[in-house]
Amino acid sequence: MRRIILIAFMIIVPFTAMAYSSPGKSTGFVNDFANILGTRDRQIIEAKLQKLKQSTNAEIAIVTVSSLGGDTIENYAVMLFQEWGIGVKGIDNGLLILVAPNEREMRFEIGYGLEGSITDIQSGIIIRNIVTPAFQAGDYSKGINDAVDVVIAIIEKSPEAAIYLNNNSANNSSSTLGSEMNLVPLIFIMIIFMNLMARILGKTKSWWLGGVIGAGIGVIIGLIWGFISIGIIWIIILTVLGLVFDFFVSKNPPKSGGHGGGFFPIFFGGGRGSGGFGGGGFGGFGGGMSGGGGASGRW
Amino acid sequence: MKKTLIILGVVVVVMFLYGLSAYNGLVTMKETTTAEWQQVETEYQRRFDLIPNLVESVKGIMAQEQSIFTALADARTKYSGAQTLNDKAVAAGQVETALGRLLAIVENYPTLKSSETVQNLMIQLEGTENRVSVARVRFNNAVKIYEVAIKKFPRNIMASIFGFGDINYFEADQGTEIAPKVEF
Repeated sequence: MRRIILIAFMIIVPFTAMAYSSPGKSTGFVNDFANILGTRDRQIIEAKLQKLKQSTNAEIAIVTVSSLGGDTIENYAVMLFQEWGIGVKGIDNGLLILVAPNEREMRFEIGYGLEGSITDIQSGIIIRNIVTPAFQAGDYSKGINDAVDVVIAIIEKSPEAAIYLNNNSANNSSSTLGSEMNLVPLIFIMIIFMNLMARILGKTKSWWLGGVIGAGIGVIIGLIWGFISIGIIWIIILTVLGLVFDFFVSKNPPKSGGHGGGFFPIFFGGGRGSGGFGGGGFGGFGGGMSGGGGASGRW
Repeated sequence: MKKTLIILGVVVVVMFLYGLSAYNGLVTMKETTTAEWQQVETEYQRRFDLIPNLVESVKGIMAQEQSIFTALADARTKYSGAQTLNDKAVAAGQVETALGRLLAIVENYPTLKSSETVQNLMIQLEGTENRVSVARVRFNNAVKIYEVAIKKFPRNIMASIFGFGDINYFEADQGTEIAPKVEF
């Protein structure tokens, strides 16, 4: 009740007054910044959430913070959800369970995609009947663990989970190939372009034209990305590259019959960019969004 | 001579491409603000739809508080009747105020407070209010990006040529600065 008044008040007070400060980067599904869960409990819950991610693709983040810094739990939850991007982008199947033990407030912040399965009322009921009694007894681990069990059960039975399971078994192999295919035609185009440039620029002994073209391409890149700073960097890089390229090509103009081959391996020797997170670290969440749905509670 | 032409050609092409990307950028930003406003209105509608349930649950017990219910009903009628964006915004504000008053008064009825139905409705209303607030913030953020873009040089030239005007930020209505007083 009081919360509604508080929230209505929030609408008036400019949000800069509520300074949100990030608790840091995520280190896993469970982020116990306030240190209220034991190591063993944290690992148990983390394992459950990893399993959930694998079977349904849903991402649940548990975060405990030692201080809200004067912010309301609603605002903090929304900002944190946005910062970490909990849930898969586009599907928005993320849930944030935020606990602030010093302020004795907690909140379920639900991603857009889960709002149908985990409604405001359901969150409220879970908080009221499961979490609050446990927290009041001082047992944070039990409260969070039991709440997680209920939420997992709901998500696993949800229609979204069923769809994910069906799609996953069929499409698993083809998805990774798709992203690699896009690079190949691009490389072909670049080789042909460089060839053409070599012939044109090679005809003149002077080497400033390469620089002009390089600058022009740099400006275009800057425009496409919309930021002048990126454009300036590329202008400088490409102008220099253009000048150097033209210099070499003017010195050794490609023979008309040939491919003008020698230079190109230098530019295209690098391998594909690396994907994935690498090694044992937690890669972060999928970039999902929430809209302010969920429920808060205090104990 | 030929060199000069080539350089001129490159310059013209670059200027054209710049203009193109600047224009498209402004279009995208403007559409983002429209989309964010749609989200705000969606949340208004959600709140609007929740109110009758709340009223039904509390009406019996709060029979003597007729004025509140009338005010709320009037505000709702005004909201559904509002056509222009401005009217809608004003009407939404009135719904908010009336709702706030009703909720403040519900506080005074212990039997209502402990009713699970009422508690659940409160949860839904809180959720909705939060969504409204989040949607408004996002709208204002989108407006800010747009406003900055149409005012910065050299995009402001493009903006005035193609008629990208100002978009107003969402501002709280008059009277809503005074949050209803609630005793605990």
